[in-house]
Amino acid sequence: MSAVDRARDAIDRLVDASASERILISTAALVLSVLIGAVLVLVAGRMTTCTAGEAVYYFGTGFCYDPVVVFDRLFLGALGDPFSGNWSPNGQFAVTLRETTVLIFTGLSVALAFRAGIFNIGTQGQMVVGALATALGVLWASSLVSGALGTVVLIPFGLLVGGVFGGLYGAVPGLLKAYADANEVITTIMLNFIATGIALYLVSGVFKDPESAANQTVPLPEFAQFPALLFGARQDFSIVALGFGLLALAALYYVLEHTSFGYDVRTSGVQPEAAEYGGVDAKRTVIASLTLSGALGGIAGAMYVMMILGTFQTGIPSYGFDGITVSILAGNNPLGVGIAALLFGVLKSGTTVVQFATDVPPQLVGVLRGLIILFVAMPEFFRLAARRVPGAGSRPEAVATDGGSATDRGGETDE
Amino acid sequence: MASAVHLDGITKRFPGVVANDDVDLEVERGTVHALLGENGAGKTTLMNVLYGLYEPTSGEVRIDGEPHAFDSPRDAIDVGIGMIHQHFMLVDPMTVTENITLGNEPRKWGGLAVDRAAAREAVVELADRYGFDVDPDARIEDVSVGEQQRVEILKALYRGADTLILDEPTAVLTPQEVEELFDVLDELTAQGKTIIFITHKLGEAMRAADEISVLRDGRKVGTVDAADTSQEALAELMVGREVLLDVDHGTAETGDVVASVSDVVVEDDRGVRAVNDVSFEVRCGEVFGIAGVDGNGQSELIEAVTGLRTPDAGEIRFRGEDVAATSRRERIDAGMAYIPEDRQERGLVMDFDLVENGLLGSQHGPELAANGRIDWSKARSHAESIIDEYDVRPPDADAGSKSLSGGNQQKFIVGREFERDPELVVASHPTRGVDIGSIEFIHERLLELRQQGVAILLVSSKLEEVQGLSDRLAVVYEGEFIDVVDPDETSEEELGLLMAGERPGDGDGDGGGPEATERTDGDETDGDTPANPTGSTDAADGERA
Repeated sequence: MSAVDRARDAIDRLVDASASERILISTAALVLSVLIGAVLVLVAGRMTTCTAGEAVYYFGTGFCYDPVVVFDRLFLGALGDPFSGNWSPNGQFAVTLRETTVLIFTGLSVALAFRAGIFNIGTQGQMVVGALATALGVLWASSLVSGALGTVVLIPFGLLVGGVFGGLYGAVPGLLKAYADANEVITTIMLNFIATGIALYLVSGVFKDPESAANQTVPLPEFAQFPALLFGARQDFSIVALGFGLLALAALYYVLEHTSFGYDVRTSGVQPEAAEYGGVDAKRTVIASLTLSGALGGIAGAMYVMMILGTFQTGIPSYGFDGITVSILAGNNPLGVGIAALLFGVLKSGTTVVQFATDVPPQLVGVLRGLIILFVAMPEFFRLAARRVPGAGSRPEAVATDGGSATDRGGETDE
Repeated sequence: MASAVHLDGITKRFPGVVANDDVDLEVERGTVHALLGENGAGKTTLMNVLYGLYEPTSGEVRIDGEPHAFDSPRDAIDVGIGMIHQHFMLVDPMTVTENITLGNEPRKWGGLAVDRAAAREAVVELADRYGFDVDPDARIEDVSVGEQQRVEILKALYRGADTLILDEPTAVLTPQEVEELFDVLDELTAQGKTIIFITHKLGEAMRAADEISVLRDGRKVGTVDAADTSQEALAELMVGREVLLDVDHGTAETGDVVASVSDVVVEDDRGVRAVNDVSFEVRCGEVFGIAGVDGNGQSELIEAVTGLRTPDAGEIRFRGEDVAATSRRERIDAGMAYIPEDRQERGLVMDFDLVENGLLGSQHGPELAANGRIDWSKARSHAESIIDEYDVRPPDADAGSKSLSGGNQQKFIVGREFERDPELVVASHPTRGVDIGSIEFIHERLLELRQQGVAILLVSSKLEEVQGLSDRLAVVYEGEFIDVVDPDETSEEELGLLMAGERPGDGDGDGGGPEATERTDGDETDGDTPANPTGSTDAADGERA
């Protein structure tokens, strides 16, 4: 009983943690995961063979891998070595920001749906649809304008097309949930496959670039892609795109916290019965939030096409699924998504740096990455899960109310 | 001789809250001890400590003089403590015998099979010993609520309980069933059992208990002999100040019809008819009350009126318009305020603070959110004015609504709904689980609104509440209005009979469990939908004008 009690207390404290406490918890989790990761690197380094010259020595023992180097490359390397004196905007830091930009949009997509109480696993599919629509739309429109004017017109146009088509694709599970009571987890997963399949069919057939062996569309003209300002073009990163990302963060935050629609969404997310009582139209809110969520996923696809690839190619990396982790990491808070996307971006780009700089096998780097995400995300994950368990959080409430609810909450034999 | 139960200096702390503070409680063997207190006074927590659900932070539990430390209810049951929760823990499709013996069945064939005959015999013997009226072969879903409660008590006795804890046992009973329960308690104590019952109803504590202990804010403020006290004295102990127990009802000018319901049929979530052909109207300046035991269709009727549920037939008119098909939001905008029966599920968003909760229902309105943009500074002052005017404590608009006690949550909801400047107030159990001080306050406000010409539709399972506040009173039973009466001309006795489904003019006013008879009849004619308005419809048709 007492062990169970302690566990419950811990969960309750987690659920009730304030924003600053949560940041502290995340930081502590990050440090802890690095320490455990360091031990793993040492152990793995002990089990491999290397020459004495390559080995590092701790506590009088030789190890083949040096955890200090590994984590130095993973983090500082991803930031382009800001302390080394030869930091360059064309370096690894641009890669980190590129990944961050796309993850901001997929993260926001998942976060918005989550806030409405909907688990949108379909961001990946919405991203694919948005990316394909953007590529085709911009290709078509690029024959009408060109040059600097083309950039100014086509980039917003591309984002709009991506958003609209991603949004329409997101509306499908929304409609299914609202009018046919279909579980969104299942429908969105299935729609992911459908999106990938249709994209493959179209891009390997009618829309295929005849010049290319890969399944891809004709490349977009240079002026229809995000311009490389401040940062060099080598890393496919554009500060303009990141600017759009930050704008989206702020806009979604504003919508959720300061508009009637946002209030409806948040209320439906935490307590649908109360939302219904307060005059929230559940069907409309479900459809609207999934459409908006899909639109954000679609814009992520547009970013991928217009900033990174310059064309649509099948096999889009799993930014949409990473968005789920980013969102959980951020506690589904739009502003938190920025930080979580940056951490994720660092880990993604740092991984390649570690592989260049050390002999550590990529699998081990994957484990380190996984550990960090697991540790940082777990407290938030427990918070989310525990809030769905009746009676978790705010123990005082169980005491403060009498009668029905108190026995419901207090009685372990209940339910 | 040592007391049956002796709680010595029990303190129970939760993070940030002291639920019980150094409480001493001694209960003599063979007596009924009432534990009286407002919501949040710590009654249930204290009993959960005794029943082994909570470990006390400090203090000692002594049973028959022996100190015990309970790790779980199992330990408490082993030393003869049984608890009957407010919500019964019975398996509906199983029989009375199966429920009583569940988990402790007599075995045969070397423990391989349940000895049903022996189980039935044990139950019959037990029921006989205490003079209980139960049918060992009936299914739980077919028997009345009062009988279900007796089954719960038998279950505890079967497990060897010497001390029974009853948590708000009367909340779900008709007045007649309450009397039957008190007879049962008398019989149990006569045979040496000890009873502790939790209540916040003064009258019941006085009627049934030998001794009454009053808790306030987690502390025991006194133990009195039931014979030497008065309701007024108890109320003062509970609340800490003098309380007016009777509302001055007064009269108000009634005017036009504000809302009318005609021939409405509503099905519940399982597709069973919960409201059967109900019609009534509510006028300006009038309180129209609906009395009845919980679960007779009140919730579904109210949800249909307020727009949370679509009626399956009939017309609902509000200010002259048929609103049966309009959305909840349209009804809010048209001036319908609604105090829901479940404040924690519907009335408040538990994760929101009071500023955000003050906005619930007005989030699209022009006052606080013009053009889809929420004006948080206005929302804040709106919440603060509710807190101020309705004495919500703690007076902090940033407080999360789940940190408030039940009574204060309710006051906030009442304030929010009344401040809508409504034409019609639908109040569903507006004082359920609320302490006496707040009840008094909510009643006054309701009557004040009536004085201002607002129409009020009041549903409550508390007889004294609907009777005291209503100008006209309908009694609902199994989804139908049994009768509409003048509450001042009708005795509590008569209302109790109506609530149990006894129609006016049926003649035989036998108080010995009309509910149970009625239900049994019903199930003979229709086995598929137990506890539903089929049994009495034949009688009803003749009656209906």
